[in-house]
Formats: sequence, C-alpha cells, structure tokens
Amino acid sequence: MTDHPLLDIRDFSLVFDTFDGTYHAIDGVNLSLQPGEALGLVGETGCGKSVLTRAAFGLVPSPPARITGGSVQLQGRELLGLSDRALRQVRGREVAMIFQDPMTYLNPVFRVGTQLVDAIRAQSGGQTKRDEAKAIALDMLEKVQLPNPNRQFAAYPHELSGGMRQRVLIAMALAAKPKLLIADEPTTALDVTIQAQILDLMAELVADMGLTMIMISHDLGVVAQVCSRIAVMYAGKIVEDAPVARIFDAPAHPYTKGLLAALPHPFRRQDRLESIPGTLPDLLHPPAGCLFAARCPHAAPICAKPVPMRRIDDSHRVACTLYDPAREKDRADA
Amino acid sequence: MLEPITTRPPDGPAMLSIRDLDVHFPLANGQLVRAVEQLSLTLRAGETVGLVGESGSGKTTVGKTALRLVKPTAGHIEIGGMDVIDVSARDLRKLRQKAQIIFQDPHSSLNPRMTIRRAVSEGLILNTDLRGRTLRDRVSETLTSLGLPAQFHDRYPHELSGGQKQRVCIARALVLDPDLLVLDEPTSALDVSVQAQILGILKDLRDTRPSLTQLFISHNLAVIRFLCERVAVMYLGRIVEEGPVEQVFDAPAHPYTRALLSAVPVPEAVKRPDRMRLSGDIPSPTNVPKGCAFHTRCPIAEKGLCDTTPPPALTPGPGRMALCHFAGRTTEQT
Repeated sequence: MTDHPLLDIRDFSLVFDTFDGTYHAIDGVNLSLQPGEALGLVGETGCGKSVLTRAAFGLVPSPPARITGGSVQLQGRELLGLSDRALRQVRGREVAMIFQDPMTYLNPVFRVGTQLVDAIRAQSGGQTKRDEAKAIALDMLEKVQLPNPNRQFAAYPHELSGGMRQRVLIAMALAAKPKLLIADEPTTALDVTIQAQILDLMAELVADMGLTMIMISHDLGVVAQVCSRIAVMYAGKIVEDAPVARIFDAPAHPYTKGLLAALPHPFRRQDRLESIPGTLPDLLHPPAGCLFAARCPHAAPICAKPVPMRRIDDSHRVACTLYDPAREKDRADA
Repeated sequence: MLEPITTRPPDGPAMLSIRDLDVHFPLANGQLVRAVEQLSLTLRAGETVGLVGESGSGKTTVGKTALRLVKPTAGHIEIGGMDVIDVSARDLRKLRQKAQIIFQDPHSSLNPRMTIRRAVSEGLILNTDLRGRTLRDRVSETLTSLGLPAQFHDRYPHELSGGQKQRVCIARALVLDPDLLVLDEPTSALDVSVQAQILGILKDLRDTRPSLTQLFISHNLAVIRFLCERVAVMYLGRIVEEGPVEQVFDAPAHPYTRALLSAVPVPEAVKRPDRMRLSGDIPSPTNVPKGCAFHTRCPIAEKGLCDTTPPPALTPGPGRMALCHFAGRTTEQT
C-alpha cells in the first residue's frame, strides 16, 4: 500500500497496576487504517478492544493504566506523550467517539440543541458563533435523518427515544468533520429494528463523508453490515486481521473459527453450536506463547513460544503457528 | 382467501394455556400501560416455544404472568390444567415447584452469601422432604450433570464466571423436576462462546427431559431459531404471528415479522437483498395505535382499514397464525 495510513498503532502495550499485580491488558498490538476504511474491532468481553481505542487517545486514566510501549500516530503525528491539552484538541476535532448507551452521554438537564451548539463551539475552540453553530447543528441533525430536526433541537434528552439519542450523538460527533470516528458498540443498547436503522445510517455516512471508522463490537453480524475489514482481538492481542469476506469465508485463526462456530444463525438450521472449551488466560500471569493455546484444538509445542503476526497474503494477517513454516520442522524434530 | 382461525387443535395435552390475557399497569399520572392485550398462547407438553419481541413488547410480562409473579388484569392461565389465577396460596406454592423461571442476569439472581450448593438446595428444602445425604446427592448430581463438577459446589457466586453462574440457575430450576420452565433472555448477558454452551445445555434438555415444556423469551431471533420448535412474535402486547420456527422464519406472513427478520445483522459477508426497514420507533404502550397496533410503522398499511379496524387472526398455513389484514400477501407485494 502506497498511501500513508490515517491511524498507525504500533507495538502498543498497556498494563493496569492492580493490588493483585500487573494486569497485561494490551500486548504488542499493531493496527493501521487507511483513509476511508471502516474497520470492525471484534472480541469478547475483556479482550481489550475498548481499552485499546480509548487508551490510544488518552482516555484511560493513569494510574492505574500504564502504557508500556509502542506508538500511536494520527496522520504521522505521534499522540503518545502529548499533553492533556493537546490531546483534548485531537479528540473532538480530529477523532470523534460515540458509545454504547446514548443516554449516558447526554446531559439530562439541557436541551439537545444547547448541547449540540456547545459541542460544536468547543470543537472550534470557541471560534464558531452561536447562530453559526446552530445552523451546523440543524444541518447535522438533518444528515443523521432525525425526524423533525427543529422540534428535536428544543427537546430534552428524555423526550427522545434511544435511536434518536444515538442519532444526536452521531450528529455531535461528526459536526467537526473529524478524520476518524470511533464507534464503541454504538447499537448494542438498541432494539434490532432500530439497530438496523443506525447501521444503515453509519454505512451511508462512511460512504458519503469518506469517514474513516473503527467500530468496536462483540457482534460479528453488526460489523459485517458496516465494515470492510475486521480485526479479531483475544486477551489483549489482535489474532487476525482481514477483509470481511475472508473472516467469514476463510477464517484462519482457530479462535476466529471458534467464534463463528459458536454463533447461532437466524436463517440456517443448526443442530449443534460449537462452544470454545476452557476460559480466558489469567492476564496477571500471561503465558509467553500463544494466549489461546490452552483452548486450541491445534495447540503444539511451538505455540509455547511468542507468536508474531504473520501475513498470509496482502490483506490477511494472523497470529498463529499453523501458518508458521517452522511448525512442520518443529513437528519433524519432535 | 385465508380463513379466520376458529380453533387450533393441539396435538398433545396443554402444559401452559393462556387465554385472552390482559395485563395493564396504571401509572401515577393516570395513564395506563397496556403491557399485554388479548393474548392467547398454548404450549403443549414437551414443547419449546420462543416468545420474541423488542423491548416494551410485553414478552417478559407474559412470562412473569404465566407463573403468577404478576397479577393479570383479565384472562385465564392454566398450568397442567390447574388455574393459576384464582388459586390459594398453598396451591400456588405447589404450582411454583412445577413451574420454574430463569432470568437474564445470573449474577443478580443468586444470593452472594450462599454457596451454590445452598442455593440449589433451598428449593428442595422448602418443597420436599429430602434432607441430609439424599438432598446432598440430588444437588451434586444436578450440578454435575450441567457441567459443574464437585470442586465448584461449595463456592460462592462471585468465584464463578457468568456462564457457570447461569448453569447454577438452571440447576436450581431443574432440581425441582419442573414441568414448565420459563427462560427470560437466559443468554443475553453472555459472550457468544459461553452462550453456545448454555444453548447446548438447553437443547439437550429436549432429549434428557422430553416432558419438560420450555417458554423461551428472547429478543435474539438467531437464538430462537436454534432452540425452539415454535415461535410467537410480539408487538405492543399482542402476538402478531405464531407458527413453527422454520416456516415463520423462511416465509413470514406478518410485515412486522418480515421487518424484524430483515433487521437481524447476519454474520456473513454477503448483504441480503430482501431488506425491509421500519421507520420510526415503537409507539408507547400507554398510547397504542387504533386499528392494527402496527399500522403506524407498517409499509403495507392501507388507510381506512388498518388504522380503523383491528386485524383478524388469519391462518397462513397449518399451525400458523398472523394478526394482519393482509397476512400472507406481504410476501407477494414488493
């Protein structure tokens, strides 16, 4: 690829200092996004997907968190080590975020319009005048297809439904024309018909505004609706990173395969679902090699050594010894 | 032309029979929440029936009312031929032994100060004469059969994972050897790999306890498809469609069912062409639309009919029911 990535995360590691010891939440993550790409970051509870994206933009308080290495570059500019003030400029203007529960992120005692105008003015460092900000806000509410924008502008958050609140937050996030949108489980709190509306909207916005996006979700079906690429996380590491079609049609990592086999399908008859045996490794004392080895049907002695991410083709990376030429040799020796 | 339903003859004895159920909750401001309206549903002995709907559709209220945890406003409910509504406190207790419920969040369903052995024993102590060695054996046997070996039996809930806690809740229900089990979103709080284990356990019950009748309440259509033989779809307190799972999923007769199914994010790289999107949100159950409750969001609603006349219950196929003026025609249009 010739383009410079918009976001380039390299060897990023983060620990939490706890009373029980050092918890290795993120270990050596590499992830880069080209402009206009929509990446789905998928994994089960506690895999580190939210921590990774929040910590990269300074949203995980330290202590207890401690970034132990790596770099996070946004359009070539290093973000790790920036002052709180500088990071605040990055967030909101260059990187916007939306989260799972839209009610939590709106202040219940202010009108929706007031909050939008304040946010838009803050994004410009107070440069935008109130009436200009209001015009931008109404325009954005239209873009996110909120019915009756003028009326909702004067409404309080409790008067809006969950889907409408999420639309307001998307409008707020996109008003400053950010380069990158982080959407952390944006539809998990919504009903399925409303979820479908919001996912359609996000897919449209990604296409129309040329938005670059990371969508975090535990639901492979949800990211498949919007994203072109999926990265699968397990126990603080990215284990597989590939185009959507490859993840579903030719998954390479045993964990990805396990996740897919565990998923009930709405339109297929299934007699059995495969569950993944065992439990997550103890990240207070992580093993040196593959973190999935203890649950993996293909585990071999070579898996006890550190397993790097390996390219199996131009667009498909996987961290598994099954794709390591040394594995065969190892077996022959043993 | 479709014939209106008169009676649908059940193939076996009814385990749970709900007829013309209304459940209304008065609000402080004088409004009435019509949570369940004129709902009828029959579960034959040994059947697994899914009750699906979005939040606020009344599905949980139906489950709770069936076990008389909520008092209905009007209607009849029988469990194993025994009236649940006009029943003495003594008989109700006997009935509850035979009808058990499992909730979404296993953590808040377990007393944090009781070991899991104690939690599972409690129902037996209250309802049976089992004591001492026999009680202990019965509890151990049930827990072990659900994949919780002896080393777990004297632990407290906080020492268990979410999936293990849900197994305890299932054990607590099954140890009383119930005839009817109501499961209210039992896997919604779990990760997919753990969900697959719990769904496997529940499906196995169909073989190991063939007479057990299960009412499975969920918003997740894929889970219903996997587990249930029959499904009832709820919208604003009513069952709008009912029938064998495969038929309803493959050829939905009600436009709401169709919309619900097309909103499910499918874990596949190919986008399905038969998309049908609903605009707007579910109306408030305090202000249910006149005529057909769904007409405000229905893409095929006809003015002068759907907004004035409640739809009849039609039979689009054997063992099926759809509450729609145009049931069955929905697939021909578009």
